[in-house]
Amino acid sequence: MGLLLQQIANGLIIGSTYAVVALGFSLAFTVLRVINFAHPDIFMVGMFAGLVFALPGPWGLLVALAAGMLGAAAVGWALERTVISPLRGRDVLMTLIGTLGVAIMLENGMALIVGPDPVSYPNLVPRQFVDVGPVTLTLRQVVNFAICLMLLALVSFYVRATKFGRATRAIAERPDVAAAFGVDVGLVCQVTIVIASAMAGVAAVSVGALYGSAHAFVGLLYGLKAFTCMLVAGDRYFEGVMVVALGLGIIEALVTGYLSSSLRDAVAFFVLIGVLLFRPNGLFGSYAA
Amino acid sequence: MTPLLSVSELAVSYGAVPAVKGASLEIFPGEVRVILGANGAGKTTIIKTVLGLLRPRGGEVRYNGEHNLLRLKPHQIRRLGLAWVPEGRQLWNTLTVIDNLRMGGFAESDRKAVDRRVDEMFERFPRLRERRDQVAGSLSGGEQQMVAIARALIAAPKLLLMDEPSLGLAPIVVRDVFRLVRDINAMGISILMVEQNARQALRVASWAYLLEVGAIVDGGPADDIASHSRVQAVFLGGEA
Repeated sequence: MGLLLQQIANGLIIGSTYAVVALGFSLAFTVLRVINFAHPDIFMVGMFAGLVFALPGPWGLLVALAAGMLGAAAVGWALERTVISPLRGRDVLMTLIGTLGVAIMLENGMALIVGPDPVSYPNLVPRQFVDVGPVTLTLRQVVNFAICLMLLALVSFYVRATKFGRATRAIAERPDVAAAFGVDVGLVCQVTIVIASAMAGVAAVSVGALYGSAHAFVGLLYGLKAFTCMLVAGDRYFEGVMVVALGLGIIEALVTGYLSSSLRDAVAFFVLIGVLLFRPNGLFGSYAA
Repeated sequence: MTPLLSVSELAVSYGAVPAVKGASLEIFPGEVRVILGANGAGKTTIIKTVLGLLRPRGGEVRYNGEHNLLRLKPHQIRRLGLAWVPEGRQLWNTLTVIDNLRMGGFAESDRKAVDRRVDEMFERFPRLRERRDQVAGSLSGGEQQMVAIARALIAAPKLLLMDEPSLGLAPIVVRDVFRLVRDINAMGISILMVEQNARQALRVASWAYLLEVGAIVDGGPADDIASHSRVQAVFLGGEA
């Protein structure tokens, strides 16, 4: 029972990071109809931006988070202006290939600067343990989880309860009607990519602090999982992708705890593919259905 | 008098396929005009081009004599006072009724004015008030058409473009919709309507155009068009 709860807690923490990256993917796909393969590498850029600006002292974490957010948002905005916006609205493959090119450029560009091996991340959160009932967590895990949940809650509030967020959902379902009722579709697309990138940047810094290392190719791992979460959730509700990502984290942690860590990814993807077999439009449905 | 909207020599294609071939029409302030035509005649294409959602190959669309709509984006055209009741309602099915209505007032910066107009619509359609927190996709066809019309009225338009408002509705609801068209026009809103229900449309409109395979083949006062032999044969089933 102790192991079960411990692994569920570990799973929720990993899953919350997947959820933030997956939600960024999902925002780009549902609102812009773009598969943004550069998104995981914007996450990576955020991680290094936080590393560069990490200062010792009590404000170190906040400064690093802000740097990660701004760095990732700037790259996201530049990507939208130079690659996504000119290629959007034609074949979906165009933006897919364009953003994939940017992804390769970002990864290898960063590897050129910092080298292809993991780099150690500054100590932004003290090493100490926190007991929550029968579960023992590190303070770093708790901080990471709190930051990710806050990001998810903020985005959820934005799309549900603000005028601009409502317009964002309106574009996701019917872009033409939204435009005809006064929504500047191009502007909402820019804002959406910037928000997705900014939240990925914040999450990236907290992940860097959690594992104590950053890596130019860290995006690959998160990208594949986040992309799969988006497909499994379907594009009808933004919150769906959060649920699937948290579920994926729990499955991974349980497999690691009870079977073997080398089976972790295999079992996780097996379950996700299994879901798509029975619900091809995703667990929570698709606009196309 | 300057026409509120004048479309001249409009030509629109989907790829290499021409949908509208040099159509001209106009509407003056306070009027209801109708474009009659069969499926695929190009009616919806004309409406979407006026709204800035399609780019034409040629022609001109002027609003109030001064604005060239072909140079503007859809959200800029909305701010000039045009609103749209799309074919088949096209509500945001995943948004609640009240959110659909609020989106109608998106271009309005005064939030209180939008809330007031939403309340007016709830007065007019009490059934929508009961359903305000349901997602629009769960409503009946007639209720959805009311949301679509209310959404457009909350935009406080000068010119309302209605694309087949009676399509797919029960006969009793169709009568309600045409009564509503008359009421909206009495509020001072000009209406350009596209319809296949010629009998009802010709009763509310003062002027009618006949669109066949992308070209306007006839246009005139609604009474004259109603007695036209071609309209009789094609739209009114040969009886008067």
